[in-house]
Amino acid sequence: MSPLYWRRRATNAVVMTLALGATALGLVWLVLVLWTLVANGVAAITPSLFVESTPPPGSSGGLANAIYGSIVMTAAATLIGAPVGILAGTYLAEYGAGSRIAPVIRFVNDILLSAPSIIIGLFVYEVMVLKMGHFSAWAGATALAIIVVPVVVRTTEDMLNLVPTALREAAAALGAPKWRVIVFIAYRAAMQGMLTGVMLAFARIAGETAPLLFTALNNQFFSTDMNAPMANLPVVIFQFAMSPYVDWQSLAWGGALLITVAILILNIAARLFAAWGSFGR
Amino acid sequence: MTDTVSSLDLSGTPRRRTFGDRLFKATAAGFAFLVLAILAAVILTLADGALPALREFGIGFVATEEWDPVLDEFGALAPIYGTLITSVIAMLVGIPVAFGIAVFITELCPTWLKRPIGVLIELLAAIPSIIYGIWGLFVLAPFLQRHVQPFLIDTVGTIPGIGALFRGPPLGIGIFTAGIILGIMVLPFIASITRDVFETVPPILKESAYGLGATTWEVVRSVVVPYTRVGIVGGVMLGLGRALGETMAVTFVVGNAHRIDTSLFAPGTTISAALANEFTEAVGDLYLSSLIALGFILFLITFAVLSLAKLMLLRLQQRAGT
Amino acid sequence: MNDMPRTAVARQDAPLVEPRAAPDLVPKIEIRRLRFFYKKFEALKNIDLTLYDKRVTAFIGPSGCGKSTLLRVLNRIYDLYPGQRAEGEVLLDGRNILEPGLDLNLLRAKVGMVFQKPTPFPMSIFDNVAFGIRLYEKLPASELADRVEQALRRAALWDEVKDKLRQSGLSLSGGQQQRLCIARAIAVKPSVLLLDEPASALDPISTQRIEELIAELKADYCIVIVTHNMQQAARSSDFTAFMYLGELIEFSDTETLFTHPREKRTEDYITGRFG
Repeated sequence: MSPLYWRRRATNAVVMTLALGATALGLVWLVLVLWTLVANGVAAITPSLFVESTPPPGSSGGLANAIYGSIVMTAAATLIGAPVGILAGTYLAEYGAGSRIAPVIRFVNDILLSAPSIIIGLFVYEVMVLKMGHFSAWAGATALAIIVVPVVVRTTEDMLNLVPTALREAAAALGAPKWRVIVFIAYRAAMQGMLTGVMLAFARIAGETAPLLFTALNNQFFSTDMNAPMANLPVVIFQFAMSPYVDWQSLAWGGALLITVAILILNIAARLFAAWGSFGR
Repeated sequence: MTDTVSSLDLSGTPRRRTFGDRLFKATAAGFAFLVLAILAAVILTLADGALPALREFGIGFVATEEWDPVLDEFGALAPIYGTLITSVIAMLVGIPVAFGIAVFITELCPTWLKRPIGVLIELLAAIPSIIYGIWGLFVLAPFLQRHVQPFLIDTVGTIPGIGALFRGPPLGIGIFTAGIILGIMVLPFIASITRDVFETVPPILKESAYGLGATTWEVVRSVVVPYTRVGIVGGVMLGLGRALGETMAVTFVVGNAHRIDTSLFAPGTTISAALANEFTEAVGDLYLSSLIALGFILFLITFAVLSLAKLMLLRLQQRAGT
Repeated sequence: MNDMPRTAVARQDAPLVEPRAAPDLVPKIEIRRLRFFYKKFEALKNIDLTLYDKRVTAFIGPSGCGKSTLLRVLNRIYDLYPGQRAEGEVLLDGRNILEPGLDLNLLRAKVGMVFQKPTPFPMSIFDNVAFGIRLYEKLPASELADRVEQALRRAALWDEVKDKLRQSGLSLSGGQQQRLCIARAIAVKPSVLLLDEPASALDPISTQRIEELIAELKADYCIVIVTHNMQQAARSSDFTAFMYLGELIEFSDTETLFTHPREKRTEDYITGRFG
């Protein structure tokens, strides 16, 4: 064995060990973060967490108003953003070929996909909160919807592109107009992937904090009024964790555990859903 | 069965039948244009909101460190500096680890383990940033304060020149900790993209290198990396774009001080942290406008970085496509 | 048949046809001076060809010769893609289908097509067949069911699927899927059937069933089949067109073309000297 060969093998061994180490490190973060959340948050997960609203400092309470607000605003944002994203993604996939504007839209969409979410919050503050004169759940939902759109545009386009051309041609060859081919054939074939995209978008905005700071703000009472400020988990976690009160910090940990578990479950469910056979087969 | 579609007359006017088509296309196109409109509206709105501050302070806005709501004096230098420097630290932490993970997944990992590890890395990316923030504040910052910072102060801190970056009291929170948290946050993004990019290398190329007796590392270094260089840089830039605009993880640990200190251990602020902390409490038009101007600057920076990243990834895609 | 005023004689410029004793020979599609372009590339050069009703015409030739392109002109499916265009005339029952303003969807309802690979839609067997019917006719449920059954029987698939009409079309075998696609095409009641290498993805037994089906169906349709399999062309067609590099080299009744080709290139191809 030549020394050169040994050196090459040694270098390889060292680098590969480092790669293994990096992967281990990455996974350790995940475990560490989850463990911290469980250790600090599990004590706060009590029935009262789900029925009582956020308390003033020094007294006990729960997160019911914040949980409700998060669910309502996330759902509203998804209901607004997903159809917009699906139609825009449809345009890119089905009508984009040969269009000059489609690549531009695709590019802009990718920029929006990674744009800082706090900027979106700022934007909605300017156009909605200032104009209406007050913070509101609608403003929060709008900001979140703007984050949903690019995610759904992207997955919709990708999924429609996976539908075999032959399937579209077969439908067109029967005399189906293009919109029917898209709605009844392409959507059907791509349904699973598109829904997965919507689920992932839902999960993404469920934990978004920055865009809600200037839009929905917070509300220490239980409110169902979409035209008024509304409590939500991320902002409550932010305010309570930064506070000096132990009660509040404990609630923040409980909320953090809750939201993380919900988001991880959503993510895993979306992946299982994507992997699961296909409809009606 | 001999009758054909006799009820259908080819010479019939197609107008009515294509109405559905035109309506659907117009609707889809309308929503696609909405995407463009959103971006345009964001730019215009922020520019408009920033105008009073930029008019008042001119170019000095980005060149002065002063940030005094009482005297209505605002300069963006400290948050801009904080944004850039935390992102640099994040890249220094994130890139090597992300690269290692990508190499492991594409080259070393047994096939059955590829998917689970890939999914775990993606789950890491799915954890909301506020969780990283709270974790950074209560776990990472005390840990760094007790174990890492004193060590760095005693060793690197004593070196003349570069040592200045590692001096002062170990506070836990500050620019350094914010950078580390950011690095952990962007790591899964960069790792996922790098892995995807690595997988665009044609197997035949790698096989021919292995066929010459190259080790795994040699194949990575002389085949995979050169082949995917553009894509790797694109992925890193995408991660950088995330780091620059990330808000919650930083806000918890950066310290929120409008000043520039030579030491990385000192508290500072970033654009996004300043916005998150001060925006709802800002009183006075000039204060508000200055904050919006900060947001506008952040948007311009990330827009440039993300555009560059996108163009690079597109170039790789086009090459893989031909 | 709806209308066919024109006398049943091969046109003069359908030159290569040996006028066999066939008084019922009715032109269904007449292709005149057809040229086809993919962007700048001329894929079909000045094609003149007549396709007869109730006959099977096969297009053969090496890959890239334009036989599939020619087939895709006949229902203008190429129109789905920008940058593809045809010049010349293609008369279907005397009407030029290349003229602008023509309702393509109606054209495609009249000219059915079956593709190389089976293309069942992601829905039930019943809905697959009903899809095309529902596009143009609003039928009560029982009538619709009759039409679906009729089509499936015609495609020789009914007995195999009658108990599982609600199952997905994707659950069928490859050969069954292809017959499902044929059923789906004929359910719309077209007058022309275009088959683009319909058996190339199938095993020999399924192939045989498809060929039997073609033989049965030609009693009612003008059938055009693209194939790279010369035995298949010889077995199942009445007329054969040999194409090469975008040109129509030779067209005649199948027997003549395979036994006494007039062109050297035709002979080379059918004897396997290139291809």
